Amino acid sequence: MNVQLPGAHRYIGERTPRKEDARLLTGRGQFADDVRLAGMLHIAFARSPVARGTITAIDSAAAREVPGVHAIYTQADFSGVALNVMNFFFGPCEAPVTILADGRVSCVGDPVAMVIADSRAIAEDAAALIEIEIDEEDPVITLADARGGAPVHPGKDDNIAQEMGDEDIDEDLQALLDGAAHTITRTIHHQRIAQSPMETRGCVATCDGSEEMTIWISCQSPHLVARYVSLAFNLPETAIRVIAKDVGGGFGLKNFPWREEVAVIAAARLFGRPIKWIEDRFESLTASSHAREQEVTLTIGFDADGKMVGGFGDYSSNNGAFPMGEDCNVAVHMFMWPAYKMPAYGFVSRGWYSNTMGLGGYRGPWAMESLIRETLLDDAAREIGIDPIEIRRKNLIYLTDQPNTTTFGIEVTDITPGECFDKLLANFDVPAFRKEQAESREQGRYLGLGLAAYVEPTAAAGQMAPMTGELATIRIEPTGKVTASLSTHSQGHGTATTMAQVIAERLGVNFEDVTIFEGDSAIGGFSPGAAGSRQAVIAGGAAWTATDMLADKVKEIAAHLYNANAETITIEGGMVHIEGTPEMSHSLREIAEIAYGEPARLPGNTGAGLEAQFRYQPPPFTFTSAAHACVVEVDADTGFVKIQRWISSEDCGTVINPGVVEGQIAGGLAQAIGQVLLEDMPYDARGNPLAATFKDYLMPTISDVPDFEYVHANTPSQTIGGMRGVGEGGAIIGPPTLVNAIADALQPFGQIDLLELPLTPSRILDIVESRDVSGDAAKRAKTEAEAPAEEATAEVASSSGETSIDGAWNMTMKTPAGPQEMVGHFATDGGNVTGKFTSDQGDQEFEGTVEGSRVKFNLDVEQPMKITLKYDLLFEGDGVSGKAKMGMFGSAKTSGTRA
Amino acid sequence: MKPAPFDYVAPTSIDEALSALADAGGGATILAGGQTLMPLLNLRMSQPFIIIDINRIAELKGVTRASGGTRVGPVTRQADALADATLAQHVPVMVEALSHVGHYQTRNRGTVGGSVSLGEPAAEMPATAVALGATIEIRSSKGTRQVPADEFYLGPYMTVLEPDELVTGIIYPDWADGHVTLFREVAQRPGDFALVGMVGALELSGGTVSRSGIAWLGMGPTPIKARQAEAALLGKSLDAIDPLAIAELAVADTAPFDDHHASSEYRRTVGRRIFTRTLREALGLKEAA
Amino acid sequence: MSDHRIELTVNGRKHGGTVEARTSLGEFLREQLGYTGTHLACEHGVCGACTVSVDGAVARSCLMLAVQADGSEVTTVEGLAEADGTLHPVQQAMRDNFGLQCGFCTPGIVITLASLTGEGKEPTEQEMIDAMSGHICRCTGYQGIRRAIRQLTSETA
Repeated sequence: MNVQLPGAHRYIGERTPRKEDARLLTGRGQFADDVRLAGMLHIAFARSPVARGTITAIDSAAAREVPGVHAIYTQADFSGVALNVMNFFFGPCEAPVTILADGRVSCVGDPVAMVIADSRAIAEDAAALIEIEIDEEDPVITLADARGGAPVHPGKDDNIAQEMGDEDIDEDLQALLDGAAHTITRTIHHQRIAQSPMETRGCVATCDGSEEMTIWISCQSPHLVARYVSLAFNLPETAIRVIAKDVGGGFGLKNFPWREEVAVIAAARLFGRPIKWIEDRFESLTASSHAREQEVTLTIGFDADGKMVGGFGDYSSNNGAFPMGEDCNVAVHMFMWPAYKMPAYGFVSRGWYSNTMGLGGYRGPWAMESLIRETLLDDAAREIGIDPIEIRRKNLIYLTDQPNTTTFGIEVTDITPGECFDKLLANFDVPAFRKEQAESREQGRYLGLGLAAYVEPTAAAGQMAPMTGELATIRIEPTGKVTASLSTHSQGHGTATTMAQVIAERLGVNFEDVTIFEGDSAIGGFSPGAAGSRQAVIAGGAAWTATDMLADKVKEIAAHLYNANAETITIEGGMVHIEGTPEMSHSLREIAEIAYGEPARLPGNTGAGLEAQFRYQPPPFTFTSAAHACVVEVDADTGFVKIQRWISSEDCGTVINPGVVEGQIAGGLAQAIGQVLLEDMPYDARGNPLAATFKDYLMPTISDVPDFEYVHANTPSQTIGGMRGVGEGGAIIGPPTLVNAIADALQPFGQIDLLELPLTPSRILDIVESRDVSGDAAKRAKTEAEAPAEEATAEVASSSGETSIDGAWNMTMKTPAGPQEMVGHFATDGGNVTGKFTSDQGDQEFEGTVEGSRVKFNLDVEQPMKITLKYDLLFEGDGVSGKAKMGMFGSAKTSGTRA
Repeated sequence: MKPAPFDYVAPTSIDEALSALADAGGGATILAGGQTLMPLLNLRMSQPFIIIDINRIAELKGVTRASGGTRVGPVTRQADALADATLAQHVPVMVEALSHVGHYQTRNRGTVGGSVSLGEPAAEMPATAVALGATIEIRSSKGTRQVPADEFYLGPYMTVLEPDELVTGIIYPDWADGHVTLFREVAQRPGDFALVGMVGALELSGGTVSRSGIAWLGMGPTPIKARQAEAALLGKSLDAIDPLAIAELAVADTAPFDDHHASSEYRRTVGRRIFTRTLREALGLKEAA
Repeated sequence: MSDHRIELTVNGRKHGGTVEARTSLGEFLREQLGYTGTHLACEHGVCGACTVSVDGAVARSCLMLAVQADGSEVTTVEGLAEADGTLHPVQQAMRDNFGLQCGFCTPGIVITLASLTGEGKEPTEQEMIDAMSGHICRCTGYQGIRRAIRQLTSETA
C-alpha cells in the first residue's frame, strides 16, 4: 500500500519534530484550567468522609454565609434534571449513577454537595463548612469482602457487577487438563492504580442562551463528549460544542465525562453562569476513577513436549461502587491467546462492587492477560525443564501458522509475535547474558532476564457504538497552503504532527505548509479519539485516502488547465510538475486561486474549490505484535530492583514517525515499571484511600526508567497505509517482562508462588529470605480466617422430588447486558418438553428433554448476537433455577417462580 | 487544594517575630522554607490563623563557627548549606545527608531549621542533629533555652517547641578532625523519605572508638538514637568490633512501623544490614568469613 | 485573612497586584498575571510542573506564597524563548528529542534544565538527571528528556 511516490519528499517514517511543541514548550498551550470566561464561577465538592452509609442530614447553612458563595447544590437540586449517566458504550449503568450522592454514600470521596463560588479557594472554604451526617455502615472494601459481604447497592442480590463465563470447567476441557503431562496454576493479585495524568480532570461549561452550550474539558475526544452530553442531557448535539485543544494526558481515565464533569455541566445549566471545576491532586488520587485492582488464577495444561493443550482462567476485578460502566473484563480472556496456539480455553470473569472509588479505564485495560500468561509460561518452562525461549517458540504463532482462529473466534492472518520474538533474540545475546548471570551470582549479584511476547488488538472499529471510523477533511486553501480538519484528538499523541506527515507526503507539499485542526467537536467528525490505540491506523488511513483524492483533483485540474495528460503530472514541494516540461511547473497557489476564484476555468465535472473528505472504516481489529526483553539486578540485601537494559522488538506496521511510536512504547513501559515496582492505591479496612498525595503514590521518576532500545519490524497491516496501533502495548507487555526478569534473578532463592503487586522491596525480601518479611502471608491468613462463608452457588442436580413442570413460570436470566425478564411456558410429555419464552423481545419456542425434574433444551437467538443458548434447569416446588450456556461467553444464571 | 485563610506577617528581626508569636497566642505557624508546611496548608491539614514568615530575618541565616561547634541559622537554605565550606569541613556528614533532602528545586527554598524543627521521623536533618549531639537553641519572648536534639523530638511532627517559641539556631558540636562519618539510607526514589536510614559519627583515638553518635531515620516515631550501639562501640578497638552484633543492638532500640511502602520487619532487616555494611566500610573492617 | 500589595518582575516585565496571604506564587502567576504556562499539577511540591525561577534559583511556585515573591525577579516558561520566537537551547533540545508528549509537566522541566545550562555553567549529565528527579512526567518515560540532556551536556562540553 505504501507506494513511494517518485521524487516526492519522504515524511512517513521520518523523525519529524512535532508541530505541537512550539506552543507547549513556551507555555502557550491551552489546557482546561487556562480557559477564563467573563462571569465564570468555581466549584468545589463536599465529599463523603466515610465509605458507606445513609445520609441523615446535610447542613449547608454556615457554608452559605461565606462571602463569595453563590449556591450550594445537593442531589435534590438536580431532581428536576432528567440525567442519564451512561457507560462508555452509551449504555446504561447497572447500578444507576447520580451525579451527587442520592441519600446514600458508597465510597470515601463520593460527591455529596457542590459549592459554586467566586474562587476555588472560597468554594473550598464553604465546602469545609458543610456538615454531612451519615449513619455509617460497615463497608465492603476488598474483592474478598465483596464476595461474601452485604450488597453495596441496596436491592441487588450480591456484589456481582458483571459476570461472564462459567466457573464449572467444561467436561472436554477438563479431560484435556487431566490428561496433560504438566498442569501449572498461577495466581496474581494486582494492586489498584491511580491513572494520574499530569493534568487532572477539569471542565468549564457555559450555556449561551437556552440553545447553545460550550464545554472546555480535559478529555480524550471532544466528539465523544459532545455525543455523551447530548444523550445524557437529552439535548440536540448540534447545540453542544466541546473544545479540548490541549490535554495533559488521559490514559483511559478521560474516555468520557463522569460524575463531576456531568455535575459541572448540569450546574452551569441550572445556575446560568459559566462554571469551572479543576480537580485538585487530592481529588485526582482519591476520587477520580481508579484502575486495575484485580485477581486472576490461570491453569494451563502442557503436553510432555511443552505445548499447551488447554487452559482455564478465573478473573475478578474490583469495580468499586460506581464504575464507569460495570466490567468483568472479558477482554482479558479474549486477548489472552491470539498470539499463541491454545487449542481449548474456558473462563469465568466477574466484576465486583465494593465501597471504593469506581473502576475507570487505563492503558491496556485487559493487560492482565499478558501478565498472567507470560509469567506462567516462565514458571511452566522451569517446571517442565525447558528454556523460557523454547516454551515460547513451541507455542507462539508465526506467519506460517496463519490464518488461525482462537477459541474466541478471533481470526488472525498477519500477526508476527513469533517473528518479533526471534528478532528480539537476534538483538540480544542470551548465552552471553547467562554466562554473566552465572558469574555474577558467584559474587552475590543477582541478575535476571525477562522475556515476553504478545499481540495488541488495536484500532477496533465497527463493533461497539463509540468505536467508529475516523474522518479527514483536507483543503488546499486559496493561499496554496494545506489545512486538514480531523476527528483526531491528542493528549500527547502528536496527531497534528503524524497526520501532517501523511498529508505532506501523499500530497507532495512541505510538512511546514500543512496545518492540522483538531480538538474541537466543531472540527472533523465523530470518533472516540484516543481510545484503543487507533488514531494512527484509522485517522491515518482517512488522511491518506482524502489526500490522494485531493491530489487526483489537483492533477485533473492541472491537466485541463495546462493541456497535459493527468498521468504525467506530479506534485512535489507544493509545485505541480508536468513530466518532460520543467518550465511548465505551477504552484499549488496558482491552481487553488483558479479553483476557488475562477471555477469557470475548471474542467466540466469538477466542482469549485480544492477540498476532499473521506471517512475510513477499517477492518474490525488490527493487531500489533511485540516481544520484549529486560535485564534487572536485584539487590538481595535491600530488595531493590535496578533495570539495566530493556529492548522492544515490535511490529506496528507502517511507522509514520518513529519518535512518536517510540514515545508511545516508552510511556507505556514507564507506567508498567510503576505498576510492577512503585504505584499502589491501597485502602484501609474502613475504606480510606491511603495514597492521597504524590508523596505516597509513587510514580516512576527519571532514575526508575532505563534507556529503552527499539527494534522495529514494519509488516504493513491490511489497512490503508498499513499502520498498526501502538498506544497501549508498553503498558501490556511491560509488566510481565519486568516480573519475569525479577523472578529469574530470584531463582537462587525461590519462586514467586503468588505474585502480589507492586513488588515492593519488602515483598522481594520475602523470596530472598524465604520468610514473611512483608507481612503479606500473615495478612492473607487473617483474611482467610475472617472470610465470611461464600454463598452456596445454586447447583444444578437431579431432584427426586415430584414437581410439576408444566405451566407458566416468571423467569429471569442474568446476562452480561443486564437481567432479562421472560415468561417460560413448559409442556412435558414423557421424556420430552416443548415450550416457549415470552418477553419484550417476542416469543421463542424450544424443544428439549426432561429427566426427573431436570429440563434441558437449546435455543437459537439472533440478538444481540447469533448464538445457541443451552439451558439446563431444575424445577423444585414453585421455584426453578439453573443456567443457560452462551457458547464462548459462558453461562447466565437463570431462576424463576411459578407464574 | 487551597489553604484556609490566614493572616501573614514577615518580621525582619527575631524580636519582632517573637512578639508576633506571643501575640498570636498559639494560633501562629512559622514559615521558613515552606517545603513541608505549604503542602500541609494546601491540604488544609494545617490551618493557622497567622503565618509568621521568618525568611526576611537576616540574623537567622548563615553558618558561623561558635565555641566548640558550628552554628547554623535556621533559615539557612539547604542548597546553601550543601555548598558551605565551613559545614563541609566541620560537619561533613550533615552535608552528605543534605544531598538526600528533597530535590534540587526544594533545597533552594527548604531550610535546615525548618527540617530540624518539623520532626519528620524519616527525614535526614533531625536524625543528623540527634546523632551528632546537636543543641537546638530556642527563644521566646520569655527567654532562651538550649535543648539537646535527642530531647527535642516527641513524636511524628511533634517536638518540645511551645507555641510561642522559635528555633533560632542549631549548634553542631565539633567532632575531632578526621572523624569517621556514617551515612546510608534506603529510599524508593531519589528525594523520597527513607524507608530506613542511619547517620552518625565516630571518633577514634589510638585505634579504639573514643566517641560515638549514631541515629536512625524512619525507624520509629522520632529519629532514634542508637544508644546501645553507641555504648557498645565506646572503648572498643577496631579489631574487636563485630559490626553485626553492634547493628543488632542498634536495631533493638528502634520501633519501626508498617506502611504500604515497607513493613516494620523490612525496616528492621534492612536497617540491620545497612548499619552493618556502613560500619564495616567506614571502619575498613573485613567481612566476616 | 490579610491582603498584601506586591510588586515583582516577571520575565523582565514589572507587575503588581494585591494578593490574599494564602495565594501561592503559582496561582498568582496564573490567575492574576495570566502566565498560564506555569502548571499547578499537584500543589504539594512533588510533581515539579509549577517550577519557576525566583531570583535565579528554581523553586516550586506551589510551595511559595505570592506575598513572599514581593520584590523578586521571576522567570516562567513564557520568558525563555527569544523575542523573535527562537527557542531557548533547552526548549530546542526538548523539541529535537521528542522530550514531551502532553506537555503539561514540560514548563517546570524546561525551567529546571535552563537553570543548569546558563552562561558559564557546565553541568554533567548526572547533575541534570539528579535535578530531573524533582519532576514527574507521566507520558514519555523520560526517554526524550534524557536525550535532550545529553544533547545539552554535549553542547556545553
